Amino acid sequence: MSSEQQNQPVTGRLGALGRRTFLKAGATAGVVAATLPISQAIWAQSGKVLRARAYADLDALDPGFYQNAYNVDVMNCIYSKLVRYKSGREWDWELEAAEEIEQVDPTHIRFKLRPGIMFTGGYGEMTAEDVKFSFERVIEHDSPIKGDWGPLDHVEVTDKYSGVIVLKEPFQPLWSITLPYGAGHIVSKKAVTEAVADGGSFGMEPPAFSGPYVLKEWKPDQYVHLTRNPEWTGPEPGFDEIRIIPMDDDKTAEIAYEAGDIDYTGISLASLDQYKNDLPDETALEEYPSLYYVWLGQNLDNPELQDPNLRKAIQWAINVPQVLDAAYFGQAQPSTGIIAPGLVGHREASLIPPEGDPEKAREFLKQAGAEGKRLTLETLNASTWKTIAEVIQAQLAQIGLDVQINVQDSGSFWTMGMESEGERWKEIQLIVNRFSMVPDPYYATEWFTCEQVGIWNWERFCSEEFDRLHAEAVTVTDSAKRAAMYHRMQDLMEESGAYRFLTHEGSPVMWRETVVEPSHRPDGRPLYRHFKPV
Amino acid sequence: MWIYFGRRLILAILVVVIAVTLLNAMLHLVPGDPAVMILGPRATPELIEAFRVRMGLDQPFHVQMATFFWRLLQGDMGTDVFTGRSVAAIVLEQLPFTLTLIAVSILWAAALGIPLGCFSAIRRNSLLDKVTGLLSVSVISIPAFVMALYALLIFAVELKWLPAIGAGEGFLDSLEHLILPAFTVGVSWVGYMARIVRASMLEVLGETHVRMARAFGLTERRIVFGYALPIAILPTVTLLGVGVAYLVSAAVFAEVIFARPGVGALIVEAVDSRNYPIVLGCVLVTTALFVLATLVSDLVNALLDPRARESL
Repeated sequence: MSSEQQNQPVTGRLGALGRRTFLKAGATAGVVAATLPISQAIWAQSGKVLRARAYADLDALDPGFYQNAYNVDVMNCIYSKLVRYKSGREWDWELEAAEEIEQVDPTHIRFKLRPGIMFTGGYGEMTAEDVKFSFERVIEHDSPIKGDWGPLDHVEVTDKYSGVIVLKEPFQPLWSITLPYGAGHIVSKKAVTEAVADGGSFGMEPPAFSGPYVLKEWKPDQYVHLTRNPEWTGPEPGFDEIRIIPMDDDKTAEIAYEAGDIDYTGISLASLDQYKNDLPDETALEEYPSLYYVWLGQNLDNPELQDPNLRKAIQWAINVPQVLDAAYFGQAQPSTGIIAPGLVGHREASLIPPEGDPEKAREFLKQAGAEGKRLTLETLNASTWKTIAEVIQAQLAQIGLDVQINVQDSGSFWTMGMESEGERWKEIQLIVNRFSMVPDPYYATEWFTCEQVGIWNWERFCSEEFDRLHAEAVTVTDSAKRAAMYHRMQDLMEESGAYRFLTHEGSPVMWRETVVEPSHRPDGRPLYRHFKPV
Repeated sequence: MWIYFGRRLILAILVVVIAVTLLNAMLHLVPGDPAVMILGPRATPELIEAFRVRMGLDQPFHVQMATFFWRLLQGDMGTDVFTGRSVAAIVLEQLPFTLTLIAVSILWAAALGIPLGCFSAIRRNSLLDKVTGLLSVSVISIPAFVMALYALLIFAVELKWLPAIGAGEGFLDSLEHLILPAFTVGVSWVGYMARIVRASMLEVLGETHVRMARAFGLTERRIVFGYALPIAILPTVTLLGVGVAYLVSAAVFAEVIFARPGVGALIVEAVDSRNYPIVLGCVLVTTALFVLATLVSDLVNALLDPRARESL
């Protein structure tokens, strides 16, 4: 299948006995239908209510102090920011709250707000003072996401609607991961300082909204209800109400979709082939490339892995397509590094071919004198990860390495390489790992610097050249030059023997095409703000 | 009676304190740091340390537990480290969903299991008895989560008769959302109850006072419901008390599989993210629930059985 074909929505067949149809048909159900809340029945039929699935429940709606992408999906609807990601297949941004925005020089960005954007609750019109407050509070309060603002110095307010973002030094990711993403949202200075005296985090209780939707209700672990913002002056949003239901398990979400409980969901790669062949009724399916990256890491400080030939043997023994066939049912492509296709710095090929070479691996193993060596492989207790570990275990057994798999729960796994959490980092030998990503290569490489050794760099890879390139690359505006720097950084990672890059996975989504016309970022994340009813 | 009640209450409090302490100690033994999970990858070590201090996570385990119980005496169950909300509010928000699920499951199981057990005993070795026996053993052997998955696939996905996930809104919608989870949690209890009531009934029906009643020419209906069942039901009442613990664990599966809110789902999520205050709150509530159920079943036994009452 060509990439163009892959991008076409797959359409499902029509006509099935729905739950409500069934209820109407039954005598008992007649009574039930008669007593159903009228609003619920009408909304469900009119298509003005979107029922979508989120893979986790909200935990922070303060754009200055949040952690996870599922929070940003909601923030996109209830706040406005200067610029936003364009929906489509290519990473780009477009104006949102800003009427104009331009990079005056490498450290100055001038913006002018669109007049008439109102905050709810009588907090008035959005001004440049609100922009200044929103951006600077991230730095002032030492927010966990202050890295997104990089070297922000301050915001100069020039008039009611205009201002200049001043950086201490050039920071290219500002355009790809800061302004159009979570940290770029603008909150009301007056509302926030009234709610939280020092202007710090307001957690899950936004004091004012400035997007096309407002948060009507959040019931923890049950749902988030967004309704139209009556004070919104921009283009009308598509739905009267968006109901987002948290379901961390893909299979549960797929069952819920098939049962008609939700109209939009991400699905697992494991189910993709099945759905391609047999789509539920009135359903469209689309595949997006994901930004996640999955790899097999080797702890360079572990005494058992000191011989570079042993590390090379492990790299060459792993047949990535075989791993992906087993773990992702052939629905994921091998990766060439940590930077996904479509982003600056993506490598066309890895140094070691995806298929590896068992003969070469045996040669390296022989040179290391490590035949029959016993190693441990740490992995998370998710089925995909365990399968990856098991296939790697089998492949390493073929060249004569005896690998024991240690499965960990998420609380235990995600701290095991941290020096602050004890001595467990010393025990790590091989590890299957997966990091999430935002659309700038800087976000991928920052975890593998020397400074991150013992924090998130669990392979303990440390290269002066890598660190220098990482620091320089954020200041480079020439895309080709910047790409070359990231290519080199990934080469260095691979040459160290500490990494065998596996995949970027994928983000298939499906929706009921009789209910919703969705809108996505290039990595398949939903842009609910632009979802339209059919 | 009151002395008995007082004694049981003190014992119950002790059980709760020991269980909560032990379970929390076990969780602390497993590696993991809520500060890292909450603040995310980009938090500075200073920020992580400040968070730990703020949440009391830098204190030794015994100090954390003492603080928890001291605050509990003042009606404060602590604060959720993720959202900053009160643990009591979060747990009490979720508890009605779990209680409703358990109550409905046990009620329908009792409503079906007890009569089935009775009729099996009365019509011993009949076709009904054999079929009931076969079905009882079958449903007892099938794990709740397997039953839940098949129920979902059949009734929600294939037939589309019932909703698959969530708890619903409004009375009727909530009821509709309760059917599948309650079915899967309660179905094995139909089997348990039918088997236990049958066995007890057979024993009681062979006792002297029942034979005497028959000799006096009382109707079979009077003998069964007036003389045999009140005695035969006693082991079932005890079983129901103990069964609450089982039902809480079955509810965990049901809440996860049906994406229902509830204490079970909450505790799974909290353990996964090492959200200690929520774990403590949930363990406290579920242990208290179990102890309360056992206490109530003992008291009901005492009310039903004069011998048990006299022994108090």
